[in-house]
Amino acid sequence: MITRYQSFTPFFGEFSWDQPISDELLQFQIALAKQFKIDFGKDIQEVRMGFKTLSVLWKKEIPSMEITSWIECMADQLTLITWEQKVWEVPVCYSESKGKDLKILAARKNMSKEELISLHSNPSYRIYFFGFLPGFMYLNGLHEVLHTPRKSVPELIVPAGSVAIGANQTGIYPSQSPGGWHLIGTSPLVFFDPKSKPPVWASPGELIVFRPITEKEFDFDMRHPQIPKLK
Amino acid sequence: MTANLNFKVVKTGPGTSIQDLGRNGFSEFGVPYSGALDKRAFRWTNHILRNQEDAPMLEIMQPGFKAKFESPTLICLAGASASCTLNQIPIYAHGLIPIQANDVLEIGKFEQGSILYLGIKNGFQTEKILDSQSWYSGISPTSMLQRGDNLSYSPVESGIFESNSKAKWNSDFYDSELIEVYAGPDWGLLDLEAQSAIYEHKFTLSSLKNRMAIQLEEWILNSIPELPTAPVFPGTVQLTSGGKLLILLRDAQVTGGYPRILQLSESAISLISQKKPMQKIKFLFLKN
Repeated sequence: MITRYQSFTPFFGEFSWDQPISDELLQFQIALAKQFKIDFGKDIQEVRMGFKTLSVLWKKEIPSMEITSWIECMADQLTLITWEQKVWEVPVCYSESKGKDLKILAARKNMSKEELISLHSNPSYRIYFFGFLPGFMYLNGLHEVLHTPRKSVPELIVPAGSVAIGANQTGIYPSQSPGGWHLIGTSPLVFFDPKSKPPVWASPGELIVFRPITEKEFDFDMRHPQIPKLK
Repeated sequence: MTANLNFKVVKTGPGTSIQDLGRNGFSEFGVPYSGALDKRAFRWTNHILRNQEDAPMLEIMQPGFKAKFESPTLICLAGASASCTLNQIPIYAHGLIPIQANDVLEIGKFEQGSILYLGIKNGFQTEKILDSQSWYSGISPTSMLQRGDNLSYSPVESGIFESNSKAKWNSDFYDSELIEVYAGPDWGLLDLEAQSAIYEHKFTLSSLKNRMAIQLEEWILNSIPELPTAPVFPGTVQLTSGGKLLILLRDAQVTGGYPRILQLSESAISLISQKKPMQKIKFLFLKN
């Protein structure tokens, strides 16, 4: 695995990788971030994850050379984390009233709604990082058949809890927001609570599975908020 | 709210909010920084008030603001230059202004700049969430101040009115068209034609401006394929799939999928935030 480091401003640099997005790369990124914070902690303002990048904001100017030579020494010595097999179960009501694009998307894929639901709820998805909205999880593992280009005109209002598909990804809108993904269902869980510490309940590296629930179960869960369960 | 002194909002345009220096350390949960758009004016205001550097103040984005103070305090205005009155008498709109009980402050037309900061002795008292009092939709209970709202401030010690500070804020630098930038992570993916257009041309601010981003009017041919989601920051300039340049501001999302073409310097973020729609800018490339 070849790791590059490049600085763009005196206070902003980035590690990057050319290889495709994979669990192996994520494992390496997490291990690298951990060791990097140990070795350069006092000079780091922030480290932030992307699919093939790890950005660094510095408190003071650090010559790129220092980081490139650090990488050369470290890359082979990193202890990759072993995945904790934490699997979170996310209940989802897949229905036309809770996912307004479910029917159209199934038709577009030449399948029944039930087939689409099963393709979406069978796999487990790895959480890569949070972004887009507070508490939004970038998930990897969407079945190729379900890959769908984003809508050309985004919806102005996507309700909180919406489960959606956009390009090669699936995700859950933690709060109401505009959005261009195809809406297939809604989860009754709370995905971001600014008053909790931490404000989210899952972490990068962990897994998510979607469990189909009925309208009735959904209404019950909305009236009696559930805490997310581990499988 | 405690038995504090009240600041009553009689009138406000859209986009008025409480801001401090923002939330640090929560991007791993997808939480934006937020915080004052023009940190330079913000810091100056708290400095002049002898406040803590991050004491929360009002960020006002539209003319037509009016508020009443219930008790004496000291305020400071900075940022945009605007025509202001206290009890209908025109006042100099920058620097310290002693306030008596029942004073009414009114902010009219903005001359230079587009954001005015109203700082108050010891800061406005609002709830701190995720280590910051900055308002942001979905994190703070509200994201915009409304007519009829009350804000609290703390009583001031006697003697502060004898301050001799006659410090004046100068907003002339808001007229500068030069925006300092560095080449961003995806600059190299642009073809030469696009690169030289960005080097050489002037760009115009569109009316699409909020606390998240400013969009520029001109088109740049975007031949870059869609990229994997990567971190973005305030000051990151993205090239959208539609070929528009989008300059991210303090409420920017923490990650994005558009190519990251440029990165503004910290002071350039403050400067561009003060620009108005239709104003021209030119990118000034800095060497890293």
